Amino acid sequence: MIEYILMFIVIVGSILALMQRDLLKAAIITGIPGAALAFLYQYLLAPDVALTQAIVGSAIVPVFIALAVYKTRRVED
Amino acid sequence: MIIDTQLASLLTAGALIVIGIFAAVFLDNLIKKVIGLAFIGDGANLFLIAMGYKPGGIVYIYLPGMARDFFAQNAAYPLPFALVLTSIVIGASTMAVMLGIIMVLYKKRGSLKASEILGE
Amino acid sequence: MNLLIPLMVIVPIICALFLNLLHKKDRTIKAIAIILALTLPLLPILASYGIHYFGGYAPLAQNPTLSTGLPSLITGTVLNTFHPAITYAFQDAQKLFIFILGLVAFLAILVSLFETKRPSGVYGFMMFMGVASVIALLLTDDIFNFYVFFEIMALATVGIVLVSGVKGNYETALKYMILGSITSPLLLLGIALLLGVTGNVNITDIIASLKIGVVDPKNPVLLMACGLIVFGWLYGSGLPPFHTIKSAIYSKALPHGAALLQAFSVFTLIALGIIILRIFSYLPFSQMIILGVSLLAMILGITMALLQTDLKRMIGFLAVGELGYIGIGLGLGTAYGITAGLFQAINEVVITAFLFIGFGVIYYQTGESDIRKLGGMMVKTPLVALLVLLAGFAMAGVPPLNAFQSKLMLIQASIQAGLPELGVIMILLSIVTFMTFMKAFHAVYMRPKPADLEIKNEKIPRATILSLIVFLVVCLIFGLFPQLATGFLQAISSNLAGGMP
Repeated sequence: MIEYILMFIVIVGSILALMQRDLLKAAIITGIPGAALAFLYQYLLAPDVALTQAIVGSAIVPVFIALAVYKTRRVED
Repeated sequence: MIIDTQLASLLTAGALIVIGIFAAVFLDNLIKKVIGLAFIGDGANLFLIAMGYKPGGIVYIYLPGMARDFFAQNAAYPLPFALVLTSIVIGASTMAVMLGIIMVLYKKRGSLKASEILGE
Repeated sequence: MNLLIPLMVIVPIICALFLNLLHKKDRTIKAIAIILALTLPLLPILASYGIHYFGGYAPLAQNPTLSTGLPSLITGTVLNTFHPAITYAFQDAQKLFIFILGLVAFLAILVSLFETKRPSGVYGFMMFMGVASVIALLLTDDIFNFYVFFEIMALATVGIVLVSGVKGNYETALKYMILGSITSPLLLLGIALLLGVTGNVNITDIIASLKIGVVDPKNPVLLMACGLIVFGWLYGSGLPPFHTIKSAIYSKALPHGAALLQAFSVFTLIALGIIILRIFSYLPFSQMIILGVSLLAMILGITMALLQTDLKRMIGFLAVGELGYIGIGLGLGTAYGITAGLFQAINEVVITAFLFIGFGVIYYQTGESDIRKLGGMMVKTPLVALLVLLAGFAMAGVPPLNAFQSKLMLIQASIQAGLPELGVIMILLSIVTFMTFMKAFHAVYMRPKPADLEIKNEKIPRATILSLIVFLVVCLIFGLFPQLATGFLQAISSNLAGGMP
């Protein structure tokens, strides 16, 4: 059952991230589908990939995007 | 359950790819485009993972004391998982390069609009 | 087990890393870089043919020590012949391809060392890294390994464009990367589908399991996989709809960088084209798709080249148009046609690099590549003008030079395959190519010099002249003795033409 909830979170989280007007918020919300994907990989019997995805998807990617937003413009015009 | 886990994850992967392509093609903000591109990569990775998944199987780690035949018949297929590890890192590094270019372009042009910067 | 085969990929990577460690001492670095770059064409000559299994994991059938204790469930079935590790195959065709790539890379690096005045740094790193990845693309027999190096090649391409300092390079690089980030996951998806159907990433094993019926070749998922991989192929090689971005990429790089970049795209076209032909040639329309796309590339590339005013953009479009000839050779599907296509690929790499570096002299001297602002360069550099004129003759297919032989072979092959219309189109487009080239040549060299054109660098580096002469010699050798090249290509093309090898 929990897999289906995770898939739902992945899809809704990705759509939500793209709907934000505040780009910093969008960067942080990008971490939610990343983390949900990591849990999903665990349920799909791939624990080592889940570890990598947890670090890359929920920490590194949002931080990169947040850095880029910090160096450029915060609000989408 | 109406649809099994494997099919559901394949569909999720498809949805992620469609969302990503939509964002990359139709959204005007460059950072949003990059977020969309990251989702396309995630979708492709999830697709590969779902290929290796075995319904009702076990994790592909051979623990001491496990019967060999039981392991051989029930373990998930580990090859796609090994590929995804590489793919995740490639995706993250490509994204980092793109964000770097965007930062330089913002310094030059003072805008994040794709229609202004890429439209020539 | 031949140790030199993996070294062909490892040496350029080590060069890239090592040259960046040595900073500041300019003259010694220049000498070291030249010596290291010289190993690129030498390694394929020295290496002997063979197959390299990484980690020494040969198929069980060839590995009796490992296979003795295993149950017959494994040794008695098709599993016995599968390749458990990444495999690099080095055969005669690869020898020729890697030699030519190494030669072009060596000359491009040599010219860049003398023209940019910065012997170490990002530019050299990206050039060596790109060469390493393209050599791996040519060698690898593993489709996921192919994908990894495909991505590295795309990143190296972007790097070469980013450091060029040409106006508008960041925008073009970003556009190329955005397109690449859409296309590469789709290519990965195609590989995933292939993996899902056959359970393998080794191309030889995929073909074996399709052939002996472990996997149903009529499975519709394979059609989808074919479509996605072909899409990745179009992006990697710059065939339409990606011809505009690819030619823009060439025009935003420095001339020696562009000479290397076009070699990357031609060899990507060959490497992935051979993979597509090997796996999917049983699909009836796969050859039709290749033919159609190549025809489109030829027509669009060459006609758009006529309209350009930027010198580098014009050669970029011509290079894309010439890709179409290679694609037609591959798409004809006969042994003779494939030999002609691969031979044309070799010639095109040499000639386009020749043209880019030759016209690059103008860019080096004036810092200008708009043909409306150029003129009268014949007086300054008569020798370079003569060499560039010969390069243009070679590209159009004038008899003693190499493209004449390959284009003649292509036309003969298209007549043999029952498609004489293709031959007519190829001849017409050759004429248009020549016209485009002469237009640029006239504008740059023969027209009187505009008053506001100033010469920044009077002296041309001797390395540039030397590399132009080497290119001319290669053109002449392949033009006079085409069997030198086609002899290497016969085996692979008769394999490819015979359906699933």
